[in-house]
Amino acid sequence: MALAMATAPASAQAVLTVSSEQTTTWVRNFNPFNQTSARATTKDFIYEPLAIFNRLAGNKWEYRLAESFELADDLKSISFTLRDGLKWSDGEPITVDDVVFTYDFLKKFPALDFNSVSALMESVEKVDDRTVRFNLITPNSLIATTIVAMPIVPEHVWKDIADPVAFANETPVGSGPLTEITRFTPQVYEQCRNPNYWDADSLKVDCIRLPQLADNPQVLAALADGTLDWATSFVPDIDNTFVAKDPEHNKYWFLPSSLVAFTLNFEAPDENNKKAFTDVNFRRAVSMLIDRQSIIDIAGYGYPVINEDPSMLGEFYKAFGNPEVATQFGQYGKFDLEAGTALLDSSGYVDADGDGFRDNPDGTPIAIDIEIPNGWTDWIDAVQIAMETLKEAGLNVKMSTPEESVWASDLIDAKYSMSLNAIGSAANPYFPYIRSFNPADFGKSRTSAQRWTDPEVVEMLNKYTQVKDPAEQKSIMDAIQLKVAEAMPVIPVYNSPSFYQYSTKRFTGWANADNPITSPVVSNANPGRLIQLLALEPVAQ
Amino acid sequence: MAFLLRRLVFYLAAFVAAATINFFLPRLMPGDPIQIMFSGAGSNLTMENLNALKLTFGFVDAPMGQQYLTYMQSVFTGDLGRSVKYFPLPVTELLARALIWTIGLVGSATIVSFTLGTLVGVMAAWRRGTVFDAVVSLLAIFSSSVPAVVISLTMLFVFGYSLGWFPNGYAADPMLDPAFSWGYISSVLHHGALPMFTMVIVLTGGFAVTMRNNMINLLGEDYIVMGRAKGLSENRVMLWYAARNALLPTVSSLAISIGTILGGSLVTEVVFNYPGLGNTLYQAILARDYPVIQGQLLIMTAAMLVSNFVVDLSYVLLDPRLKKA
Repeated sequence: MALAMATAPASAQAVLTVSSEQTTTWVRNFNPFNQTSARATTKDFIYEPLAIFNRLAGNKWEYRLAESFELADDLKSISFTLRDGLKWSDGEPITVDDVVFTYDFLKKFPALDFNSVSALMESVEKVDDRTVRFNLITPNSLIATTIVAMPIVPEHVWKDIADPVAFANETPVGSGPLTEITRFTPQVYEQCRNPNYWDADSLKVDCIRLPQLADNPQVLAALADGTLDWATSFVPDIDNTFVAKDPEHNKYWFLPSSLVAFTLNFEAPDENNKKAFTDVNFRRAVSMLIDRQSIIDIAGYGYPVINEDPSMLGEFYKAFGNPEVATQFGQYGKFDLEAGTALLDSSGYVDADGDGFRDNPDGTPIAIDIEIPNGWTDWIDAVQIAMETLKEAGLNVKMSTPEESVWASDLIDAKYSMSLNAIGSAANPYFPYIRSFNPADFGKSRTSAQRWTDPEVVEMLNKYTQVKDPAEQKSIMDAIQLKVAEAMPVIPVYNSPSFYQYSTKRFTGWANADNPITSPVVSNANPGRLIQLLALEPVAQ
Repeated sequence: MAFLLRRLVFYLAAFVAAATINFFLPRLMPGDPIQIMFSGAGSNLTMENLNALKLTFGFVDAPMGQQYLTYMQSVFTGDLGRSVKYFPLPVTELLARALIWTIGLVGSATIVSFTLGTLVGVMAAWRRGTVFDAVVSLLAIFSSSVPAVVISLTMLFVFGYSLGWFPNGYAADPMLDPAFSWGYISSVLHHGALPMFTMVIVLTGGFAVTMRNNMINLLGEDYIVMGRAKGLSENRVMLWYAARNALLPTVSSLAISIGTILGGSLVTEVVFNYPGLGNTLYQAILARDYPVIQGQLLIMTAAMLVSNFVVDLSYVLLDPRLKKA
C-alpha cells in the first residue's frame, strides 16, 4: 500500500508500523478478556503479563509485573510477588488487590474466563502488600503458565463496569508499555507510550501504528513497499516477493510452531477402515509411505520444519526430547517407500479380492477418504503428494474437500476416516499431549480427532503436573514419549512455520537465528512479542 | 390503489419469507459456529465458560420456534444483534458504516455506467451495421462477460501496482481524519477511482446491450418512420422518438438489477480493500459471523423489494390501465 504514512514528515517520535491481525475495519475494542474481537495489541502491550515463559532463551521465565513466583512444595499453591512501585497508566498504583479483584471478577463473569483458570483455583488471596497467593484445587506444577496468560486489570476502573463482556474498553487504563490510543479510525490506529511504565528505560519505541490490512496479499504489498516494520503473514516465495525488494533491510525468520499431522480415526464410522486404523503396523506403514520432504518443498514453499518424531514432539520441543524414541521407533517416522510396503505385506494387508487395492488381513476392503478443508491449498497439495506414494503402495485413497466448518465438525465428532490436523504449540509438551489424548476432550475439540487414548499415558500426564522435582518430571515425560511413539496415534509431517517478517530500515534489535532472544511473532498468541518490542531501537535517520 | 395495496401485501409476505430463509439457512448448514470459533481452545474451556460465551453471542439453546420468534421480533425492531467478529459493535452500526461507502461507490458507478451505456447503446443501434456498432457490440459483450474479478485484478495490477497511479486499498488516506475539506475529499476520490472504473467497465456493457436491443426493436415502428418522413432532424428522431421510448424498459431493468449490482460490488470491494458492504459480507462469511451475514442479507432483500416497488409505482404512473385495476 503506497500510503502517505510511508512518506509522512519525519517526527521526533519513533513510530513502529505493525501488522498483527487482518481485518476490514478496526473496531475500538481493547477488552483484554475478549479473545475473538479485541484488537490484537491489547494483551502484552496494554496489559502486561506477570511473567513470560521464554522457550527460546533456555526455557526460562522472564519476570514482568511480578519479580518472582514461588510454587509450594505440595504444588497446591503458588505465590507471585509484584515489583515495587508499579503504576497503572493513569498513575494509580498497581496492587495485589487488583490481582485478587481480577480473579474474583472472572468467577463472577465466566464468559471472561477464556482459559477457564478459575476452575483450577480454590481461592486467590492477598498475603501482603506485594504478594498474592493462588490456592489450587489439585496440585499442578504447570499452573504458572495458565495464570500468566490471564491479564490483570485495574480494580478502580473495572469495578464499576456492569457488563464487562460487552465492554469495549475504548480508552484503556493498562500496565504495559503502550497504553495510550492517540489515533483511532476504521483504517488505522496508534498506540503510544504509557506515561507511567515501570520499565520505561528499556522502551525505545514511542508508538506503534496499525494500518488496517485485510488479507495476506495486502500485507505482502505493504511489506514490499517498505511500509511495515513488523508483520506476521504468509508470504509466498518470500525471497523474491519480499526480500529481493530491499535485500539490505527486508528480513524474515521462520520458527517452527504448530504440528501438522495425519490422523487416522480410531472410531472411523467404516468398520473395515477402523480395523486397519487401530492396528499399529498399519499406522506405521502409512507413516513410512509419506514423503515429508516433498510435502514441505512443494506444498510448503520449503518453509515448514520436518517432523519425523513418532512421539510428535520434534524440533519444536527439542529441549524435552527423549533420545530413546529415535533409537527404538525413529524408523517409523521416516519416509521409506520400500520398508512401508514391506510392512503392509508382512502384516497381511494384501489385495485379497483382486481389485488392485490392499485389503484387511481378513479380506475386508479398506477405502480411505482423506478429508481436507476446501481452499486450504497448501494442505490440499500436501495430501495430493501423500496420496501419490500411498497409491503406489497399493492403498485405496481419495481426497474430499468439504467446507471448513464441515471438516471441523467432522473431526470433532469423529465422522471421518483420515485427515490432516494441526495441533497448537505450547510452553510444555504436556499441553499438546493432554489436549490430544484426554478422553474427556473427545467430541469437544479438534485436537483429539484421532480418538486415541491410553490409561497409562493419561495417568502419567496427570502425575506430571503433580511432581515438582525437574528430574522426576523429565523421567515421566521421557516415559510418555516412548509410550506415544510406540503406539504412534498421529503421524507427524511437519511443524508449521510461525511467520515473522521485519525491516531493519527504521528499527534494529530484531530477533533472528543469530539473535534468538525470544519468539518475535507479533500475533496476540505470543507474549514473547513484548520482549521483542523492548529490544527494538530506532535507527538514527 | 387496489393494485398498489395488493403489491404491498405481496412485498410484506416476500420480506417475511426472505427473513425466514435468512434464519433457517445458516442453521441448516453443518457446523456449530461457537464450536468452530473455540475449537482451538476447546479443552481449555469448561462447559460453564463455553455456555457463558454462547449466551454472550446470543446463541440460545431455546427451542427452534422460540428462537425464530425472537429473531423475527428483532428484524422488525431493527435490532440485529451484535457482530461476533467485530464484537461488541452492533450489526446495524457495522453495516451503516459500510453502507455509506457502498452507496457512494455503487451509486456513482451505476449513474456513470447507466448514462454511458445508454448513450453508446442508442448510437450503436442508430448506426446499426457500421464499424462503430460492431466495435461497441464487441466491447459490450466482452466487458459484460469477463468476470468482475479478472477486470478488478487487472486494473489493480496495471494502475495500482505497475504504474502506481492509484492507491491499492482503503477508501481514503488512513492518516487523514474525515472532514469536509478538499484534502480529504480528493483523497476519497483518488482512492475510489480504481474500484469505480472497474465497476463502470463491468456494468456499462450490459446497459449498452440492453439499450441497443430495445432501440432496434423500436426503430421499425411506424412512428419512427413517420418522424423521418416529416423531415425531422436525425438527432430529434433518434433521441426524442426512439431513445425516450426505449429507455422505459431499461429503467425498470435497472431497478431490478440493483441486487445484482450490489453483488457485483462484492468482488471489487474485496480486491481493492474498500470498506463497503461487499467486503464486510465476505469477511463475515469467513469468520462465520452469523448476525452480520443475516443482517446483510436482510438489507439486500429489503433493497431488492424497495426497488421493485419503485418499478411498480412507475408502472402505475406510466400505464393508465393499472390505475383502474
